[in-house]
Amino acid sequence: MQRFTLDITNRLGLHARAAAKLVKLANSFRCDVMLARVESSADRGAPGACGHGQTGPVDAKNIFGILLLAAPQGALVEVITEGADEVEAMEAVRKLIEDKFGED
Amino acid sequence: MRGLSGTISEHRYEGIGACQGVAIGPAFVVDDPRGRIVRMFIPKHQVEAEIKRFREAVRLAQRQVRKAMARFREAFSSDRAYILEAHLMMLRDRNLGRQIEDSIRDNRVNAEWAVRDTAGRLLSIYAKITDDYLRERGSDVADVAHRLVKILSGAEARDLSELAENSIIVADDLLPSVAADLDPRRVLGFVTAAGGWASHTSIIARSVNIPAVVGVRNVTGRVRSGETVIIDGTTGAIMVSPLPETLRFYVELRERQQEQQLHYIEERDLPAVTRDGREVKLRANIELIEEIETLQRFNAAGVGLYRSEFLYSQAASGLPAEDEQYEAYKCLADTCGESGAVVRTFDLGGDKLGLEGFKPERNPALGLRAIRLSLAVDGVFRTQVRAILRAGLHPDGRSRLKILLPFVSNLDEVRRAKEIIAEVERDLRAQEIGHAEDVEIGVMVETPAAVIMAESLAREADFFSLGTNDLTQSMLAVDRGNENVDKMFDPMHPAVLRAIKYVADSAMKINIPINVCGEMASNPAQVIMLLGLGLTDLSMMPSAIPAIRRLVRSIRLEDAEKLATHALTLETPADTHRYVQTHLSELGSQFFATAHFG
Repeated sequence: MQRFTLDITNRLGLHARAAAKLVKLANSFRCDVMLARVESSADRGAPGACGHGQTGPVDAKNIFGILLLAAPQGALVEVITEGADEVEAMEAVRKLIEDKFGED
Repeated sequence: MRGLSGTISEHRYEGIGACQGVAIGPAFVVDDPRGRIVRMFIPKHQVEAEIKRFREAVRLAQRQVRKAMARFREAFSSDRAYILEAHLMMLRDRNLGRQIEDSIRDNRVNAEWAVRDTAGRLLSIYAKITDDYLRERGSDVADVAHRLVKILSGAEARDLSELAENSIIVADDLLPSVAADLDPRRVLGFVTAAGGWASHTSIIARSVNIPAVVGVRNVTGRVRSGETVIIDGTTGAIMVSPLPETLRFYVELRERQQEQQLHYIEERDLPAVTRDGREVKLRANIELIEEIETLQRFNAAGVGLYRSEFLYSQAASGLPAEDEQYEAYKCLADTCGESGAVVRTFDLGGDKLGLEGFKPERNPALGLRAIRLSLAVDGVFRTQVRAILRAGLHPDGRSRLKILLPFVSNLDEVRRAKEIIAEVERDLRAQEIGHAEDVEIGVMVETPAAVIMAESLAREADFFSLGTNDLTQSMLAVDRGNENVDKMFDPMHPAVLRAIKYVADSAMKINIPINVCGEMASNPAQVIMLLGLGLTDLSMMPSAIPAIRRLVRSIRLEDAEKLATHALTLETPADTHRYVQTHLSELGSQFFATAHFG
């Protein structure tokens, strides 16, 4: 199993287009790809309110899970891959997020 | 108005004209099944059949979305189809499908109800999201659920992509997915209850050049499918079940407009040169980046005014970030052609930005706005300039973008702005970020102070832009939004004409270019006056360009100059109008005999 935590840095966060790219990518691997939100600076300043729908981990092969993580810019997410091609999958997902989903 | 038989009666409603032109045809009211779903109990032995029905609906929905994506790409040649890609993935989402099937099985309900119920639960989770932009994406969920329910309840028989005849689409609001389902060749026009000039429907209508009226309250409750509807996208009126004489009037108007369109298409590439050989620049005023497509259609000489504050109204929250601005300006720079584009920095008031410690203003028109605000709030101007300089970079070394400072009333504002621009340039150079050098900086002349100081400002600026709307308001001290005095708003007032003359002369004396970007530049009679005053660089809403091109080609500059010279000696607005009216027909006889103003 691979685990890696990183920042969402594109301006719009994990919105529909970014989520669609991520789901497409995750589906191109055989292993499980999961995503979870980790407490981060983006969560502070909203006492009481949870600020996002779910914290996960959610299945990155299904778009709703990703959308409901509602990770805005600055959110911290943990990527988990497990299965035959987990190393390649982790590398690809990491690259996509670090490249700001090819947006900014 | 009442018809002869007493049962036929014409109804007229007002909205906002979103795309010019007349359309006449049968209405096609886009049904909104929201709120009309009944919960039905499904007997145990029919549960599997109900689930099968749901799965088939999902497959059909996927086919529709794929078809729409292909059509969308073809018709709009943009990447807006990504919204549909997300919809497709939602339809493929295994969790969603399983939840709906569980709901059918466990609650023994019909598929429509299960879809609505599951979507409702998802939406309530969305509603708790604090990030504005991400929360707004809940509309995609609603949109997908809407499509599924439509299919399940049998409405798919009236799939919009298969409109039987050419129709006028009447809807509460056009969801992106519904708009994408439409076949542009079969749509005569749009009418919606929601929306303004910058709404999604308006943008789509303008990009495909189909007459549209938006903001007609409760329109779906007032029009039935099949009824004849006339829409006038120029005035924003719609007429339902028109009387024969109304119909005749609009059929003729439409014919004249279509004929004129054909002429305009033929004349599109003719040079805008007066009969005595003077070239006139015809540029476009734009508010939305999407409008850039119209530059080519009307053969505009670049963008004379890009109102950047519209980026603010479109931004997810607050002022758009540097990168978002950069994207917009880059698109502008890439598509405006060699003539370039003038970016007017934000013309916003402090109220819009929700500034901390900002006190409400009794008279915002004279308040902390435009360049005053940009300079007062640290970072606003700097961020915008950075984005413009970065985006203006062109391989040939010349910047495609120019900067225009709005509402200048003091020479120091221009000097301060230039200092900041120089600092931003230094920063970009130090950070080795690609950017344009020596970007031209213009001053918007629209206050009496700027008129009086025109010569001094001209020495400091690279170019002038005459904002005749604000200039007329401030010269005459008339608020044209105030119906008690709006008739006094008159750009042909001698005070305004003499002010324009003085500014034009000052620009000529110091030898800097000057452009006119107010509504005067799209009014034929006033254009003759402007040309006569020495202003031959005009910027207007793109759809006005064909008529002004024809006007320019039909007159002699020498005659316009004579007209203006005499007009400057007149002392009341009434005298000016009388004089211009009597001489107009001889001046532009060809033009005024053939042109039609809708």
